[in-house]
Amino acid sequence: MKKILTNFNEANNQHIYNMRHKQKVVDHKTALNKEYDAVIVGSGISGSIVAKELSQKGYSVLILEAGPGKDLTISGYEKYINQFYSAVSKDNNAPYKRNPNAPMPRSVDVKKLEPGKPNTDSYLVQNGPFISDFTYSRVVGGTTMHFESKTPRMLPEDFNILTRYGHGLDWPMEYEDLMPYYRKAEFEMGVSGDVSSQTFSNEKAYEDDYVFPMLEMPPSYLDQCVAKDLDGTEINVAGETKTLKIRTFPQGRNGIPNNDYKKFNNGELFKPVGAVSEHQAEEGERCQGNNNCTPICPVQAKYDARKTLAKALENGGVDILPQTVASRVVIDPVTQKVSAIVYKSYEDINSEKHTTGTITANLFILAANAVENARLMLASGLNGSSDLMGRNLMDHPYILTWALLPEVAGTTRGTICTSGISDIRNGDFRKEQAAFAVDIHNDGWGWATGSPNTNLEDIVDNKNKFGKELRNELVHQISKQLLLANMVEMMPEPSNRITVDPKYVDRLGNPRPIVTMHLPEYTMKGIAFARQMSRQIFQRLGAEDYSTYSTEDYGYVEYKGEGYAIRGGNHLAGTHVMGTDPSNSVVDANQKSWDHSNLYLVGAGSMPTIGSSNTTLTMAALCFKSIDAMVNDLKELQASKQTSKQL
Amino acid sequence: METYQENLNVFLDLSVVLTDFSSYELQGTGQLEAYYSTIIDVIGESNMVEVLDAFTLAKTNANGNETELEKQIRIQLLSNDKLGPITRNIIKMWFIGNWYQLPNIWRETYGAYEKDETFVVSAIAYTEGLLWPTIGSHPPGAKAPGYATWIDAPQISKV
Repeated sequence: MKKILTNFNEANNQHIYNMRHKQKVVDHKTALNKEYDAVIVGSGISGSIVAKELSQKGYSVLILEAGPGKDLTISGYEKYINQFYSAVSKDNNAPYKRNPNAPMPRSVDVKKLEPGKPNTDSYLVQNGPFISDFTYSRVVGGTTMHFESKTPRMLPEDFNILTRYGHGLDWPMEYEDLMPYYRKAEFEMGVSGDVSSQTFSNEKAYEDDYVFPMLEMPPSYLDQCVAKDLDGTEINVAGETKTLKIRTFPQGRNGIPNNDYKKFNNGELFKPVGAVSEHQAEEGERCQGNNNCTPICPVQAKYDARKTLAKALENGGVDILPQTVASRVVIDPVTQKVSAIVYKSYEDINSEKHTTGTITANLFILAANAVENARLMLASGLNGSSDLMGRNLMDHPYILTWALLPEVAGTTRGTICTSGISDIRNGDFRKEQAAFAVDIHNDGWGWATGSPNTNLEDIVDNKNKFGKELRNELVHQISKQLLLANMVEMMPEPSNRITVDPKYVDRLGNPRPIVTMHLPEYTMKGIAFARQMSRQIFQRLGAEDYSTYSTEDYGYVEYKGEGYAIRGGNHLAGTHVMGTDPSNSVVDANQKSWDHSNLYLVGAGSMPTIGSSNTTLTMAALCFKSIDAMVNDLKELQASKQTSKQL
Repeated sequence: METYQENLNVFLDLSVVLTDFSSYELQGTGQLEAYYSTIIDVIGESNMVEVLDAFTLAKTNANGNETELEKQIRIQLLSNDKLGPITRNIIKMWFIGNWYQLPNIWRETYGAYEKDETFVVSAIAYTEGLLWPTIGSHPPGAKAPGYATWIDAPQISKV
């Protein structure tokens, strides 16, 4: 059969090859009759990387996915896009139908906390005192389906920030240990960027001559308008002077392959990964500038985890069971190993009808994201011997600032963000206050104000304009918009946490996550500084500052006499923190549970700190790093099974 | 059928005045009939006809004078407590593809129609919004202009 296949032309070959992943979406009967080496909970980037790597090494893998699994086809994906087009609210989870069997947080559901009682109306139960509108997606591909795909590495300094600056936690590894895996992650996600612009660490952060797989996304006209007047501005931060410069961000988005990458890719030019499809599809090549990376890239030029998942499924060793919600992790009381995962499986998102079943394997990997991993463990009564399960919950709080530039800057074009300010990501000031990165939002004020719809409504309903005047006013109000999204570092604190309570369950009876969160003083200092720095930037640019924060905003926080409306960053982390021993952590440096020797909890939940880097690239690198340990465990587990069979 | 076509033509004329896009451009969106029938579907034909009649009167009064027509649009339509909110909805529908729920005071006075809630007319209506060409851009998630086009100044037609 193999021989015949090689005679086919490439298109046909591709067609048959791609058809395979359809057959890998299995039913429960098939799955229960097979013996899997590893069971993975979640098909996001962490789960997909682990599945692909283990299957390439010859292991059989089953993925349990809570969401529906029909989106591995172009037509399935297009349903998401149409759902997005037709949705009044175009929030991060707008492309997906509401699914009460595996609910997900949506920003439109968030409301201000009433004193004395938690918000319980939507999936996340929020205790406060800080109310966050963070979201994640419970669909095939996980939250990478709506992430923006910005892919900065963490800085070498971030890995021992406690020793260095007296805040947060040190990692049980150095940056150097992760460097080769960052390269693997950048290959997997297809990173476009310019290494020479990533110069804000004082230590060596890249191998000599290293370049990203693809050239940087060209800076937008808006970036250029800002840069020409802003570059060179000096900012005083806690006694340190920083000179601002607009630089591009690396991002997991298809651009132009970099010729110089060949020497890091066995002499080959990087080949961008196109759209996920069962049939040959001429989609998903270079970014076309849809300005819609979040919530959904219509042409699949943006990396999402389905690209890795499709490769995993094509390997032949991976099956996926969609609409199957992991419900409980079962521990053998004698060995303390995981013996099974109990799941609840539903037929239809519109019905609560479901069946319960049990899946066994040698190795178990939870890759359901920082909130859902902790939720599942806590729902199974597994708080961890350190009692750190669910604690140290982190996210990047965002403070948005917005202004109108004195000139038409062509806002609303390009990827969501091409450039920003990274000069406040590192320095001795971190002894005093949080670091932050600043995005220039090419999509304008939308995140802060609901623009451009709100501009149109204002111009028509309040300013009483129509015809020519309306058109001119639209240009004036929208094409000059500048929104700075200040993404501020948040340190781990055990009191910021996910818990569960049998009082709060979803439709299938699975406990919902309860969020208790406050913003530490260190972070608030950073937020206040970022707001002040934006004022200086707008002053330098001659831009009109329109930033206002309502006391009625659910994310409203006061600090030193000033109010701020804080937004969630969806960079959830820390809930199964890694460390050097079972007393200070849930997992080791390979993301392996200290308490249960055949269990791994992978993803950003393992990260002790998140610096000012979007978390996805680092969690991808961590997953690549964990593979060797998983393989060793699988070998040992198989050997001990053999021995016990012989006995 | 004849009346339908006549009314649709008046609706097109009105839309040209409200949006400052030519009838050619408006018909090019393919949304003319969709918007016309959406209004009738939500608030009924008689309200639609009232808007069209008021526009015809405005045109007659203006007698071909453009400045006077703008004034007449304000007198006959925009400042009319019944027809103003519908007219503003027509403008917003053309620019963003949404029907907006009419103001509470309108609903209390002229009836709360069952279908009168805020919705996107259709997936295509969203992508055909006139707001995007107005600002030299494209709807987010559709009609992408191509790699690296974003590095140049936008091309905005002067009006």
